Amino acid sequence: MASNSTQRPLPGGHALSRDFIARHQRARIIDALALEASEKGYRAVTVANVVKRAGIARSTFYENFSSKEDCFLEAQRHAISAALEEVVAAAGEIDDWPRRVEAGLAAFLAYIAREPALARTCMVEALAAGPAAVRSYEESLQSFVSLFRLGRDVSPYGGELPEALEEALIGGVFWILYQRLSLAEAGTIEELLPELVEFTLTPYLGAEAARGLTTTKAGANRGTGMYEQSPE
Amino acid sequence: MRDPVNPSVESPEYPPELARLPPGRHGLPREFVARNQRERLIAGLAEAVAENGYSGTTIAHITRHAAVSRRTFYEHFNSKDECFIAAYDTVMTELNRRVGEAFEQEEEWPQAVRAGLAAMLEFLTSEPHLARLSMVEALVAGPVVVERYDAAIQSLVPYFEAGREGRSDEVLAGLSSTTEEALVGGIVSLISRRIFADRTKELEALLPDLVEFALTPYLGSTEAAKVARA
Repeated sequence: MASNSTQRPLPGGHALSRDFIARHQRARIIDALALEASEKGYRAVTVANVVKRAGIARSTFYENFSSKEDCFLEAQRHAISAALEEVVAAAGEIDDWPRRVEAGLAAFLAYIAREPALARTCMVEALAAGPAAVRSYEESLQSFVSLFRLGRDVSPYGGELPEALEEALIGGVFWILYQRLSLAEAGTIEELLPELVEFTLTPYLGAEAARGLTTTKAGANRGTGMYEQSPE
Repeated sequence: MRDPVNPSVESPEYPPELARLPPGRHGLPREFVARNQRERLIAGLAEAVAENGYSGTTIAHITRHAAVSRRTFYEHFNSKDECFIAAYDTVMTELNRRVGEAFEQEEEWPQAVRAGLAAMLEFLTSEPHLARLSMVEALVAGPVVVERYDAAIQSLVPYFEAGREGRSDEVLAGLSSTTEEALVGGIVSLISRRIFADRTKELEALLPDLVEFALTPYLGSTEAAKVARA
């Protein structure tokens, strides 16, 4: 388990202002909830568990959140927006759709590898946390649906592809990630990139073209800078 | 009412836990009554959970639906969780049996996948309470059930792996060690999201999409679509 998650840089954190400390506290509480939920399941987690884990006073918890549910929703909002922000930053500018999918997935996997407990909590526990959490989960899923749907424009099968294809693909990708997270194999998540890219591109481009795209990059997948490469 | 088109639903093999038995006195042997009580509690739990969600369900709800006493509940189960696990296992055993049978009845793999998926959708559509219990509430019910849920889903992987047999090297090169898991995960996610949204009735209409999705990595889009829309 990544225990250093409380030390990760906060999004846009600057000097140690009052604002920074307040946000830092919120982030710590969120991390604590994610870790507790990934260990015992959301339903079994109590505010007392979260308070203890975060090393804060109970009153601090209630200054930030009205309840466990409120804290979960905030954790989820935070995770979804952070992940999507990174996906957009990595993929948004790329015109070539297969490369765009690849860059987007790479950024998504990188985020999950960095925040395994939070990712697991959001992907698995949304149902346990009630309808509002499910709604946000559904909305985040829709952002990926739109990214994949663009593939219909470049696919020779475009109009004939099954209506539910994108939902199924994303469900499949999420399931694989969830499995790795459940097995506490977050460290290997980024290695999944080539096969997930191939899996998601195959229905649009055919197996050969999808594979061609991933094998030409086989060397780059292990290391760095893969989404800075320009299409050949 | 169960699906009148499919007599197997009403067949004697239908697990009694899932077929609601009439409450009341039976004048039956003690052992039978005990089993019957357990079955009624399981059926009662399924109804209570459908009504209140897992978190909102109490033992009182379960015993009311089962028409047994609280004491009887504790003779069979130590907790709500334990009763849920029994119910979950019963539903999954039945679902697996049906999927397996449908799959085995077809000679060709693509048709077998289609038949297995059809059997799954049919069961879930005809039993919306059990569908919800097994695909949605299971995820709410805590780590023990979630573990079982994961295992149940992973147990579908071999049906898809069978599709590798006899494929060309080219097709095989396009499959990875996680292809089948991703297919299963995608299918289950589509199904459970419909159930969650109370759109369980629409499940059977998903069949062609699911079949095409499942077969595409092995047969290619065109061929997969043919089987799916046949």
